[in-house]
Amino acid sequence: MTLTIALAAVLAIAVAFAYLGRSRARGMRSGGSRLNSLPAYHAGYVFLWAALPALLALAAWSPIQNRLVEQAVLASPAGQQLPEFDMVRDTILSEAYEIAAGQREAGFNPESTALAPVYRATLAHYAWIGGGLAILLALAGGAWALTRVHPGFRARSGVERWVMGALVGASLIAILTTLGIVLSLLFESLRFFSMVSPSEFLFGTQWSPQTALRADQAGSSGAFGSIPLFWGTIFIGAIIAMIVAIPLGLMSAIFLTQYAPAKLRSVLKPALEILAGVPTVVYGYFAALTVAPLVRDLGIALGIGSASSESALAAGLVMGIMIIPLVSSMADDSIAAVPQSMRDGSLALGATRSETIKKVVLPAALPGVVGGVLLAVSRAIGETMIVVMAAGLAANLTINPFDSVTTVTTQIVQLLTGDQEFDSPKTLAAFALGLVLFLITLVLNLIALRVVRRYREAYE
Amino acid sequence: MNSVALTRWSGEDAQRRVAKRYAAERRFKLLGLLAVGISVAFLVFLLATMLVRGVGGLSATFLAGSDSTDPAMAGVWGALKGSFLTILVTIGLAFPVGVLSAVYLEEFAPRNRWTDLIEVSINNLAAVPSIIFGLLGLAVFLNVLHLPRSAPLVGGLTLALMTMPVIVIAGRNAIKSVPPSIRDAALGVGASKMQVVFHHVLPLALPGILTGTIIGMARALGETAPLLMIGMRAFIAAPPQGISDPATVLPVQIFLWSDEVSRGFVEKTSAAIIVLLVFMLLMNGLAIYLRNRFERRW
Repeated sequence: MTLTIALAAVLAIAVAFAYLGRSRARGMRSGGSRLNSLPAYHAGYVFLWAALPALLALAAWSPIQNRLVEQAVLASPAGQQLPEFDMVRDTILSEAYEIAAGQREAGFNPESTALAPVYRATLAHYAWIGGGLAILLALAGGAWALTRVHPGFRARSGVERWVMGALVGASLIAILTTLGIVLSLLFESLRFFSMVSPSEFLFGTQWSPQTALRADQAGSSGAFGSIPLFWGTIFIGAIIAMIVAIPLGLMSAIFLTQYAPAKLRSVLKPALEILAGVPTVVYGYFAALTVAPLVRDLGIALGIGSASSESALAAGLVMGIMIIPLVSSMADDSIAAVPQSMRDGSLALGATRSETIKKVVLPAALPGVVGGVLLAVSRAIGETMIVVMAAGLAANLTINPFDSVTTVTTQIVQLLTGDQEFDSPKTLAAFALGLVLFLITLVLNLIALRVVRRYREAYE
Repeated sequence: MNSVALTRWSGEDAQRRVAKRYAAERRFKLLGLLAVGISVAFLVFLLATMLVRGVGGLSATFLAGSDSTDPAMAGVWGALKGSFLTILVTIGLAFPVGVLSAVYLEEFAPRNRWTDLIEVSINNLAAVPSIIFGLLGLAVFLNVLHLPRSAPLVGGLTLALMTMPVIVIAGRNAIKSVPPSIRDAALGVGASKMQVVFHHVLPLALPGILTGTIIGMARALGETAPLLMIGMRAFIAAPPQGISDPATVLPVQIFLWSDEVSRGFVEKTSAAIIVLLVFMLLMNGLAIYLRNRFERRW
């Protein structure tokens, strides 16, 4: 609450200073002096100096404040009566914090309810200090910048330097995100591999991620062999889905770019875009409720007794349909990039259009198409909701498409959505699976991007 | 010799060969039409199934209510509000960061190893499975930064990281398509590089950027997996009041209801899907409209 007030105050001060800066610059201009920068830039310069340091201070204050508040609460009479044992004390403290912040009504421990008023008072105390500090900084920064408003002052370069900083900062976020993904996955995976050996994880064929409550329980060890999961992922995502998506996507692209009249194209293309925009949870529900029973009945009609209602085929089929627009648009791009002169040459020799497409356009567009297919595979093996809802949980090593298989993403969801403490191999296994999944898709993406880019350069 | 070859072209053999080739041509064309037809038929089948199953579940109580254990009382308002708050956080973070980094990469970045690294990570992030972003959110936002679990704030942050690359890529393409003559003209009358970009290039590129942003937001709106990872799957019977309250979002609500064995929830799930699809279609329609209305061929 105090934070919001401080934030509003800082912004109000900055706006006021900006206004002062502008009117001062305007006054100088009407006084006859030639300004280096427009008054708006002077205003912007003053605004930035009033707002940014204060906002940074506010952002830096909250972690400092939390520590100071905790120390102050522990030093208070009520806090000194708390048990010495760290874990109990921390629970009580965090409960007291939640009560003080209004996130819950009463604590599980009576001590925390008693501590809450103290907590609230200290919190308010330090929040005021922080807010006051920020407001002072805003005033000081604004006043200093105001003194620099001068006809010869290069306010524009000053503002542009800040903007440039923002531009560089924004583009670094992509690298930070990548780094964050790699580090967080790596860190948790290392903890997992300190409990389960990497070779068992990578080459084991048994997957049953239980951890026992007692050491002497039956089946206490749990098995973390990930081969069946990766087989299931490849079977559904890279085999069944691609058997559906590659021919259909490619033929769609050929039809749309080479044959369809403009009017038909303007209807069909948005339809494919809508197909691409349907949320995966909808596909998953459709696969589980409508496609899976059909596939099971088909399996039984074919005489496969073991046909499961959570078959690999149902999930793979729907996933393939979901991927069609992606394959189609990638193929579309690469077919469009083939120079018209090659097409004309073939047609002039007397080849029909389909012969031209098969013998000239497709071979020339092949690298782009392959790149698109690789991206599609990467998308399919990382797809989660369809397989969570339509594929099973049984980790089978099978090539029967009517049988149930499980995938890496399904297991990640399964492992992390139960009520689990965060140290068991079971939860950490999800991060190890995530790491391998990330590495596989990274390699696929990099190859695909490189292939597509090389190929584009070849015709430009 | 020459005359023999010529007569062959009008002979019966040649006629048959030409007819065969034309038949192959027709077959190929039909095959293409069939491929597109299958996709469109599937789409129609899917939409029709959801409409038939769910249209009975759409009612005022359904649109105004929140999650409940009783299918007759359950509604989507709570989830819808959660979705709305989450998307608000996402757009507030991803749009400025995405546009600024597109501007930097397209207009200012020097060609060096750092820029290449940024480019590769953006292109790769756009294709990283969404569930990985969920793992990142769980490990960093919840376990390291201790942000509130199940809150739209964390969901929005996670989805922002996921949609940012999409906006950057769309933004770069839009900026690239602004002809250099515009920049040269502005520079020629004395504008600084920054003024050229922010006064001339960005306004012209804005429709393209907005189209990409809306498509990215539509994707974020339909995303489920990363939000499951950060705990937005709890049973929440009251709509969230702010971005740090526990909440759920529409796709997750659909997923949760799809697991319910009670028959009443089948209708509710399909009805919720209809609501979600209406929002998606609206957003995609807006994007297509923007593209057609403002797209300029230079």
